[in-house]
Amino acid sequence: MVRHRADYLYVAPAILVMGLVIAYPVWFTFYLSVFSTPPNLALEDKIFVGLDNYGRILGADSVREASLNTLVWTVASTGFAFVLGFGAALALNRPFRGRGLLRGTLLVPYVISAVAAAYVWRWLLHSDLGVISALAMASGLRSTPFNFLDNTDTVLASLIMVNVWKEFPFVMIMMLAGLQTVPDQLLRAAQVDGAGPWQRFWHITVPHLGNVSLVTILLLLAANFNGFTIPWVMTGGGPAGASEIWITQIYQLAFGRIRFGLASAYSVILFAVMMTMGYFYVRALVGKDRPS
Amino acid sequence: MAEVRLENVRKGYGEALAVDDLSLTIADGEFVALVGPSGCGKTTTLNMIAGLLELDGGEISIDGRRVNDLDPKDRDIAMVFQNYALYPNKSVRKNLAFPLQMRGMARGEIARRVDEAARMLDIGHLLERRPRELSGGQQQRVALGRALVREPKVFLMDEPLSNLDAKLRVQMRSELKRFHQDLKATIVYVTHDQLEAMTMADRMAVMHGGKLQQYDTPERVYAHPANAFVASFVGSPAMNLIPARLTETGIAGDGWQLALPPALLARARQAGSAGVLLGVRHGAIGLLPAATPGAVEARVLTVEPTGDITFLNLRLGESALVASAAPDRHFTPGQPLWLEFDMARLHLFDAASELAL
Repeated sequence: MVRHRADYLYVAPAILVMGLVIAYPVWFTFYLSVFSTPPNLALEDKIFVGLDNYGRILGADSVREASLNTLVWTVASTGFAFVLGFGAALALNRPFRGRGLLRGTLLVPYVISAVAAAYVWRWLLHSDLGVISALAMASGLRSTPFNFLDNTDTVLASLIMVNVWKEFPFVMIMMLAGLQTVPDQLLRAAQVDGAGPWQRFWHITVPHLGNVSLVTILLLLAANFNGFTIPWVMTGGGPAGASEIWITQIYQLAFGRIRFGLASAYSVILFAVMMTMGYFYVRALVGKDRPS
Repeated sequence: MAEVRLENVRKGYGEALAVDDLSLTIADGEFVALVGPSGCGKTTTLNMIAGLLELDGGEISIDGRRVNDLDPKDRDIAMVFQNYALYPNKSVRKNLAFPLQMRGMARGEIARRVDEAARMLDIGHLLERRPRELSGGQQQRVALGRALVREPKVFLMDEPLSNLDAKLRVQMRSELKRFHQDLKATIVYVTHDQLEAMTMADRMAVMHGGKLQQYDTPERVYAHPANAFVASFVGSPAMNLIPARLTETGIAGDGWQLALPPALLARARQAGSAGVLLGVRHGAIGLLPAATPGAVEARVLTVEPTGDITFLNLRLGESALVASAAPDRHFTPGQPLWLEFDMARLHLFDAASELAL
């Protein structure tokens, strides 16, 4: 023990900073979640209410609606981004003229700022001023403008579309990296064994990509579950809460309606879900190193 | 089983010619080793026979049928790879069954063939395991089994023993040889290890720089190398190659001369070579303790006892060479020795073209 004392000293600054910026806010959120706070910043006037906040969050109709939206938003964004990104990776894995340029171009959505992208898409999809509606009408495809974002039936799908556009390059990069580690000799062996391209893909490539797929999907699920920028900038949860998800509701509750206690309880629930995902992520990461 | 015929086969990578005008016939049921150093074109040749690489020129036929444009799966071949290339996510049983499934074979027939191959290779107890749970030798057997179940016309093997440790390699070598004897299979076997080729093959094709150097039985390749490259590549230790020039009665180097039998001398003269390489294997050199007519003087540099045989590094004029002696003879570095060459086992190569004279 004595010999290790100096080691703790060396990591102390890092521990201190992490404690300050991570552990303390987490603890304070837990702490606030059991208080009813006044709708102002006078947190001294809070009243202890036990688990009431949790009951109110879990019992609210608006939360139930937002939960469904969150589920649809998270699963659909992840699913479509994965399929699109994997497809792009497969297409870009084989050599052809202009591949480098295409790879670079497809990365653009991923590298531009989410806020900037969200503003541009809001404008593109605007029903009166949007380029997409204007082009559709000018070419005679439609006589009335599209109503992407102001329609409760299409707003979530529109946001998901933008989100998929934003994050499929991430999947593409991950899967391209995975594809490049598929042993050539296995593919050749399968070819000699009589497997066609589709069978080689199914029997060799897909099993080999199992781990990288799992990690990619878990990272996407976590990012989308927490995905704030696109819904907030493009619709702010509207119209009529049709694109409200947990994270936008928490933000609205905390910083719109200044209900820190309630928002903290909501955040703790979100935190629990995220940590569950984190557990599976870590398990997937270390799982492949474990001897069977 | 089938005959494999390569005619004027050519393959280049960019500017470099990996296989240059290769013609080779592998008879039905024959075990042929393609042997040569790294980059000699042997694996490229094998991949072209397999259909994994396209030819730039020439023709390959299997069992009389031109296969240049056929997919690997339509060539009726099976291949064993250097790293075994077992499917890591499949059990041994499924690995063995895979090539049969891909051909749409009936389930009962697949099970019968898998069991038969497992019995033949003694891997029956491993059938439910995954490849990573097997030792190198076991993986090698499974790889062999996967080739075997197909009952292909030709087996192609790409350095299948090179990842095994030395002891296991010797054991697998004799197993492969038995495998060939039992099956009477046509086998094309790529290796960089001349000893593997010598011990297993019916015939060996020695390649260098994309060109076929010699294609003959191991015994003949060893005893009558076609050129200086083959002479130095086949046999361990390598054949001594000593630069010399032709004289009236034989050959001479710096500080030594040797009378040659008239027949050998006449052959060398006919070729019109001024410079020659004298080729002599360690076993064809007699070591005499005192000056004797017809023997040349050399000096001992180092002595390497191996148990069965003692190797000596000697200095003859400006050249180094290796000779051998029985283990009960004693030598000391610096000691002079007189070398008596076995004239029947001497080789002469043209110094410029390196071809045997």
